[in-house]
Amino acid sequence: MSDLEAYRAKAAAWLASMAPTFGRDARKGLSEADDLALGRRYQKAKFDAGYAGINWPVEYGGQGLGHLEKVTFDAEEMKHGFPSFYFGISLGMPVPVLMQFGSDKEFVKERVLKALQGEEIWCQLFSEPSGGSDLAGLRTKAEPDGNGWKINGQKVWTSWAHYSDYGVIVVRTDPNVPKHKGLTYFWVDMKAPGVTVRPIKLAGGDSHVNEVFFDDVKITDDHRMSPVGGGFAVAIATLMIERYVATDSAGFGPHLDLFVELAKEVQLNGRPAIEDGRIRQQIARNHAMRSGLDSINVRARLMMQAGMIPGPEGSLNKLVAVRSRQKLSELAIDLQGSDGFLFDEHASQKEDWASSWINAPTGRIAGGSDETLLNTIAEKVLGLPQDHRPDKGIPFNQIPA
Amino acid sequence: MTILYDEGQQAIATESRRVLEARVSKDALLPLLEATGEYHRPFWDTAKEQGWTALALPESEGGLGLGLVELGLIAHQAGRSISGAPFLTSSFGAAKAIELFGSDVQKARWLPGLASGELIGAIAFSAGPDVLPGRPDVTFASDRLDGTARGVSGGLAADVAIVLANGPDAPVLALVELAGVQRSAVASFDNSRLIADLDLSGAPAETLAVGDAARDAALHILALQAVVTAHEQTGGAEVLMEIARDYALTRRAFGQPIGAFQSVKHRIAELYGLVELARANCVHAAACEGAADFITAAAAARLSATEAYDTAARDCIQIHGGIGVTWEIGLHLHMRRARSLAIEQGSSLFWEDVLVDRLAGEAA
Repeated sequence: MSDLEAYRAKAAAWLASMAPTFGRDARKGLSEADDLALGRRYQKAKFDAGYAGINWPVEYGGQGLGHLEKVTFDAEEMKHGFPSFYFGISLGMPVPVLMQFGSDKEFVKERVLKALQGEEIWCQLFSEPSGGSDLAGLRTKAEPDGNGWKINGQKVWTSWAHYSDYGVIVVRTDPNVPKHKGLTYFWVDMKAPGVTVRPIKLAGGDSHVNEVFFDDVKITDDHRMSPVGGGFAVAIATLMIERYVATDSAGFGPHLDLFVELAKEVQLNGRPAIEDGRIRQQIARNHAMRSGLDSINVRARLMMQAGMIPGPEGSLNKLVAVRSRQKLSELAIDLQGSDGFLFDEHASQKEDWASSWINAPTGRIAGGSDETLLNTIAEKVLGLPQDHRPDKGIPFNQIPA
Repeated sequence: MTILYDEGQQAIATESRRVLEARVSKDALLPLLEATGEYHRPFWDTAKEQGWTALALPESEGGLGLGLVELGLIAHQAGRSISGAPFLTSSFGAAKAIELFGSDVQKARWLPGLASGELIGAIAFSAGPDVLPGRPDVTFASDRLDGTARGVSGGLAADVAIVLANGPDAPVLALVELAGVQRSAVASFDNSRLIADLDLSGAPAETLAVGDAARDAALHILALQAVVTAHEQTGGAEVLMEIARDYALTRRAFGQPIGAFQSVKHRIAELYGLVELARANCVHAAACEGAADFITAAAAARLSATEAYDTAARDCIQIHGGIGVTWEIGLHLHMRRARSLAIEQGSSLFWEDVLVDRLAGEAA
């Protein structure tokens, strides 16, 4: 057994031992407040067992291991339905960026340790009502105020802001230069006066994203994490941190096996649906697509293991998997006919077709819309030109509205 | 086996690409479309000279002892250059049938020639839309075949064929020498595939497998060939994606390169996705030759590669506009090849059923 396989086996055994306390079944019927409390205890248990901050420096409470161990653990962890997602953004991007760019090392260390143990949660304040894909077009501004800054504006789609203690934020500090050059990166205290968090109820019924309003929120200059006007580079660094995260060829929806089971149970025209050519074709096509993504992911892991940099094809996973999941979920509802009306808003997207279906549009938009991902592949991988960009090279305050 | 190519495998890919790009051009391929019974001999000479015919056969039989991964790499490059003959796949399939199911005498008689490329093999399993027929049109009795094997790729030039025939009690996988067999060329949209109807009436034949074993053997040979063909399809799709990209970068309309329009650039980005999924499935399938889930992996490779090549042919021509449909630019070479490869080794309809039977636990 390789070292990595030994690591996987040990992690899998530990995770299995945690499942009765923190897993899918233990969470059934809990209110969100109770689920979050359970999540905090699970995060602490991970920390105590050496599974928090797996690839983070030891000096910050991490384990000092590699990215491979982290991805390996995540892939195993995904199987049990633990309440770990409350910390996914926090530990995925804002806190690593704080470690990299935070200026007060003692403060940073204290925050990182609390975040790793589930005591504090961080959010990422990037998207705005004026645009999500066009990050550099943001309008929230910070103006000099004494020795510090004063923030005014609005962010949106901020995951878990309502539970967050801190956030990282990109704001405009100079509207007189082209849009990428007038941004600065800060951290903020989410409990500070002038910060208002308002949850947004999504189509599927849950409310994990928020609007966040900033009204004369005052911060000192030691909150700054980039040079003044140098915020865009740190924002991009934030988004680049987890390029090869543990992926899911099911598009974070149900496994294809569940569709096959359904097709074997259900009758169409008096015969099992599994014998219907239309259903068979979709099963075959989805299997071929998912096995291709799985093979891409395995190859990426092998390359990292061999000290190589994986190719850009890893970026296909979300694009291809989520939109396929959307259509397959529609077909699964079709298959159930009038039994398909049944909807449980607390059901898991990974196990329930209606839940998978109603939440699929979020998956196709959040974290880079399908269209943005296609642009990225076309421009960064294939070298095709950017679209017509009338805002290019023009000071932000002169861009035609 | 790992799905990461080692240095030797990477060298095979680089060298085969270099050789084929130097020796195969569309100017040589276009006239073959209008001639029945002709194929691009320099391609086959290259395959023999480079040892590609021997690559995946055992050393004991005159081969080089490598496997599907290496042959797949060659096929990928052959697909990029629209290879001029179907034998890279069909001779391999015939040789594998003899290696796996033949007697020592049969191996000694045929394998060295197939490995050197001096002899050419063909596979005749299907009867029209029926890829592995339960009751084949060709019958087998008293060591002789009767009937016609239809639409056999490479059949016009082959020296030996592996035939799925209807025996007295059960299907038979039979080996037939084609020296005295009457063949008629099928006028095809892709003539250099040398497609022929073989009139097997009275041809002496030898048994390789009988009954369920014959069907299982035929499916296994078909799956081996499907993985080779899937690499070829992926190579074709890949080069079409590059051609589309290059054209979109240079062709201008409304004051800008057409690649700046999202309707065009997204189409090419989607091709990238199809090519990479097909490539990943191909490598996985080639690496699991001999494993329990080989048929499943072969089916996935075949399905994604067929989709990639057909879609790339369609979209690459569309992106070119009017020039794309001219004879001279030759994109129709790919469009034709995409379809002929989609039929050879069983269409997607066949492989979808093979795959779902296995996923649903209904495999024979």
